[in-house]
Amino acid sequence: MWSGGGRGGAGRSGIEDDQKLDRSQTRVVLVRSIKMAGEFRRTAALAMVYVVITVLCTLAGPVLVRHGIDAGIKGKDGHALNMTVVAYLVVVAIAYIIGRLQYVALNSAGEGFLRLLRIRVFTQMQRQSMAFFDREKAGVLVARMTADVESMSELVQFGLMQFMSAFLLLFFAFFLLMSLSWELTLISLVVFPFLIAASVKFQRDSNRAYLEVREKVGANLSALQEGITGVRVIQAYAREDEQIRRFKESNRELFRSHLYSVKVSTWYFGLIEFAGIASSALIVGLGGYLVHKGSVSLGTVVAFVLLLATLFDPVQQLSQLYNTLQSAAAALHKLFGILDAKPDVDESPTPTALPATGDVVVDNITFSYAGSVKPALENVSVTLSAGTRLALVGPTGAGKSSLAKLMARLYDPQSGSVSFGGVNLRDASMDDLRRRIVVIPQEGFLFDGTVRDNLLIAKPDATEVELLTALDRLGLRERFEALPEGLDTEVRERGSRLSAGERQLVALSRAALVDPAVLVLDEATSNLDPGTEMLIEAALERLMVGRAVIVVAHRLSTVQRADKIAVVADAKISEIGTHAELVALNGHYALLAATWNKSQPH
Amino acid sequence: MANETKGVTREGWRLLLGTLKLQRRALIMGACVGLAWTLGKVSVPQLTKLAIDRGIDKNGSLLFWTMLILAAAIIAGFFAAWRRYIAFRESRLTEMMLRERIFAQIQGLHVGYHDKAQTGQLMSRSSSDLQQVQGFVVNIPIFVSQITMVLGVVVILFLSDPLLAAVSLFPLPFINISARSFSHKIHPAVLAVQQEQAQLANIVEESVSGIRVIKGFGAEAVQQGKLNIEADDIRRESMRAALIRSRFLPAIDLLPSLGLVAVLSLGGHRVINGDMTLGGLVAFNTYLTMLIWPMRNIGMTVAFGQRAASALLRVNEILSEVPAIADAIDPQKLPQAGLASPVGAVKFENVHFGYDIGHVDIRVLNGLTLEVQPGESVAIVGATGSGKSTITRLLLRFYDPQTGGIKLDGVDLRELTLSDLRRAVGVVFEDTLLFNDTVSANIAFAKPGIDQETVIRAAKLAGAHDFILELPEQYDTILGERGFSLSGGQRQRIAIARAIVADPRVLVLDDATSAVDPTKEHEIRDALATVMRGRTTLVIAHRPATIELADRAVLLDQGVIAAVGTHQELLATNEKYREVLAAWSSPQVVE
Repeated sequence: MWSGGGRGGAGRSGIEDDQKLDRSQTRVVLVRSIKMAGEFRRTAALAMVYVVITVLCTLAGPVLVRHGIDAGIKGKDGHALNMTVVAYLVVVAIAYIIGRLQYVALNSAGEGFLRLLRIRVFTQMQRQSMAFFDREKAGVLVARMTADVESMSELVQFGLMQFMSAFLLLFFAFFLLMSLSWELTLISLVVFPFLIAASVKFQRDSNRAYLEVREKVGANLSALQEGITGVRVIQAYAREDEQIRRFKESNRELFRSHLYSVKVSTWYFGLIEFAGIASSALIVGLGGYLVHKGSVSLGTVVAFVLLLATLFDPVQQLSQLYNTLQSAAAALHKLFGILDAKPDVDESPTPTALPATGDVVVDNITFSYAGSVKPALENVSVTLSAGTRLALVGPTGAGKSSLAKLMARLYDPQSGSVSFGGVNLRDASMDDLRRRIVVIPQEGFLFDGTVRDNLLIAKPDATEVELLTALDRLGLRERFEALPEGLDTEVRERGSRLSAGERQLVALSRAALVDPAVLVLDEATSNLDPGTEMLIEAALERLMVGRAVIVVAHRLSTVQRADKIAVVADAKISEIGTHAELVALNGHYALLAATWNKSQPH
Repeated sequence: MANETKGVTREGWRLLLGTLKLQRRALIMGACVGLAWTLGKVSVPQLTKLAIDRGIDKNGSLLFWTMLILAAAIIAGFFAAWRRYIAFRESRLTEMMLRERIFAQIQGLHVGYHDKAQTGQLMSRSSSDLQQVQGFVVNIPIFVSQITMVLGVVVILFLSDPLLAAVSLFPLPFINISARSFSHKIHPAVLAVQQEQAQLANIVEESVSGIRVIKGFGAEAVQQGKLNIEADDIRRESMRAALIRSRFLPAIDLLPSLGLVAVLSLGGHRVINGDMTLGGLVAFNTYLTMLIWPMRNIGMTVAFGQRAASALLRVNEILSEVPAIADAIDPQKLPQAGLASPVGAVKFENVHFGYDIGHVDIRVLNGLTLEVQPGESVAIVGATGSGKSTITRLLLRFYDPQTGGIKLDGVDLRELTLSDLRRAVGVVFEDTLLFNDTVSANIAFAKPGIDQETVIRAAKLAGAHDFILELPEQYDTILGERGFSLSGGQRQRIAIARAIVADPRVLVLDDATSAVDPTKEHEIRDALATVMRGRTTLVIAHRPATIELADRAVLLDQGVIAAVGTHQELLATNEKYREVLAAWSSPQVVE
């Protein structure tokens, strides 16, 4: 929309593009939303009928006044006047009742639609592979489900209704005015093109200013957040004054952008005020002239003055609402983007059941993360026999974590295959896969809820007995029951009530509950308090009994207890064998083992 | 607003008035401009009446009256725009000034306060709460002019026809009452919707950040179940709000029509009887229409004001918090370094300290006494919870000891200014916080504006120079949450460079190597050794290689020093020391 105007420049259009859809995109989005609204269509149609009725009631007011003046007052007919008054009261009563119904109908259709949208988008989001979550920023995904959906709720609450009423009001009013007096209609129409042009310019300018404001608000908020979360470091380095100065800078920039947005828009409000009064001056002046000529009645002039007053708001609203509608369309477009994202690690349409146990065979896989040219793994083959332990070692970023994740099908390789018990993981039933192979991440992530909720996330249908047995098997039952409210302890704010060690114990217990054939461990690099660490170690040892284990190892002790060690370097397995074999080989591993030895206390 | 909060609300109003006093001249100006608008606006129906009665009904000069209406239009338009400008400028100014006060206050508040405060809460004080205040202030000029307009119109109406005025104005107070009542009822309903929305956001957020767990266990259905509940809740609460709207809004819209009907009925008969002119009737109607919006708005503004007052009350909770750690009233200076008098002596004398967490006092230090000579380096070793990191926090005066004292070069910390103290003590924390700024600015953190050579020299000493050169824009690369992310070891080296630039007389390495990959530890160790040379240093560590950097080690146990010696001595002689170290590095199989 900028290129046509020749102003604004190329730099700006980028921001606009982000905000606005072109006409055909908007149409696609609208058609699709209507399709999606399916079950709410009937309620929405009913709401439409209500809207039409209320609009007709609104317009009936001035017409009745005109009738009252011309037939009753001018005609000195008291009865006609009384009848008009009664009719007016009836119209008001109808308008009130239908007005209430219209709110309820529109909102129930709209909120139903938003609910459906929330659920569908979330479902689709969760179906995506890890690659999707690597690619998309967490904040953006959350924004889709919150800000983008919420941006439509204003529309649902009253925007859509206002939009329709405004549109219908203008539409009907035009015919009404024409039927009353075409001369006066033409006179009043003189104002509207200016009003519309002004509204469009106002919308465009204030939008641009708004984008600027939004950017400054973002910058200001992050300066604020930095000042709060970094307060310890700031105070430790006596940097308060500098930090305050920087905050003031961003705060003042925000103020200036606010001021700018008022400056570019304020004339519009003056103009609207002026145009409203000026148009009735025109009607009175020219209308009066026509009354003198005898071509219109005085009642018509009065009705026009009253009607015009009711039309001013809709014109302003329309341009404002058009904007809201557009940003809602943009939000919907983004949401549809998620709905259309095809999960790239999806269950096969004809899933194969997995055997209870078996070897994990990695056969000549090549894998690279989306957007990276260099493969993370290149022609890698390795076999993990049932019940054995494989340690992956190597420099950071060499591909050992990627290999571990591929073995659990968190990603699919670009070529080659990973299979369990002879079944290619791509063909396996997702449910079976998640029960056979369990990944335990570095950090024990906790969800809001109780400790029990957090354990059951691994197996929602587990019975209390199963749960307690799993905890017993790891020797952790007492530890959890010792929490303030035992398993029913609320973890609060991402587990702030539990220590890092306890969070990891939860992670281990989840795995025990699932009782998988294969465990994939990503060993933590940071230290925990010694007591918990020993507890974790003991629990882990118990968990590993009888299972195949792949561990991304950072510690010598872990490595030494593995049956096989694979050194992953430069996207390949460079060495593989037992500890003794690899030390004898005197290669990369031997060097690593020597460094580790040095940093041990004894 | 409920009765029990009335006193509190009054306090909020007082605060609001106090804040607005600073801008009283501009606000009075805004009110005057608003009055000029009122004048223009109120004259229109009178002029229309005269135009109809004298210009149309009788053969007066139609043009003259039309031009007068146009003049009124210009006045009303011009002043409406001006009023709006003033209103927005002043309200944004209020918001801006308050936000700066909050930020400055946050920066100055003691760490003990921040331990308890939640980031999100502080954020919303200075964003959404200030928004409420702004939303009220922006309405002040329009509020003033609308009140005068209502008064003016009511007077005009009563002067022209008291009975008709009484009858037609009868529904209007109900608009105001309904608007206020609506605002009160809808507010909690909207809050409830927002709360449900926040809960949904929380579930989405945890599902995104916990996606590894969800995928790992195939727990998508569990999260979906939680989300569906929230989606249902949002719909339920939204419908509740919609019902409130449906009860009030159509009524508020239609109440004025009743006045119009009354005018038509009563006034119409009067015109028929010749007691009133037709122009008068139209003017009456127009005046009534003019009152609709102000009546609504006045009701809303009052409700806005109450919300703004309680928002300001929350803001004031922050602003009135007195920093528990502050500069001494009569501060002393630290002694300057001389050839014969090296600086950097640290002395803990019988220090007792405990954290006050939710009324539970957790004892950490129980009479700690420790003396560190200028230039000496001491490693502090102890199990988790033994109070190692507390020593750092006390030395920085994040907290004050409950009894006992800490001296730096013979001066009690409480007798120094905070900035003198904190410039003298430099810390490399376990978690390096990088600010959303360039590498250079992050290194020059303690001394903003220092020359680039010093920054590079510090980076070289810290062993950071080489990897910085490999960053996309070298020293100009933006770091922090919204910038380039560095590895743990790299962040640590930036922090060390930061400490080098600060050039403190006492350096504290608080677990500075623990976040670093053990295979990379030696690189940082060299950097540390360089910084420590000739400087008083406290090393809090549990990795033997890091401990060995220090001249001697002390074992902290139960909040007191349990043993002192070199690392080797303690290893050889002290069972507890061996135990602590072994626990830290024991067969570390962590998930």
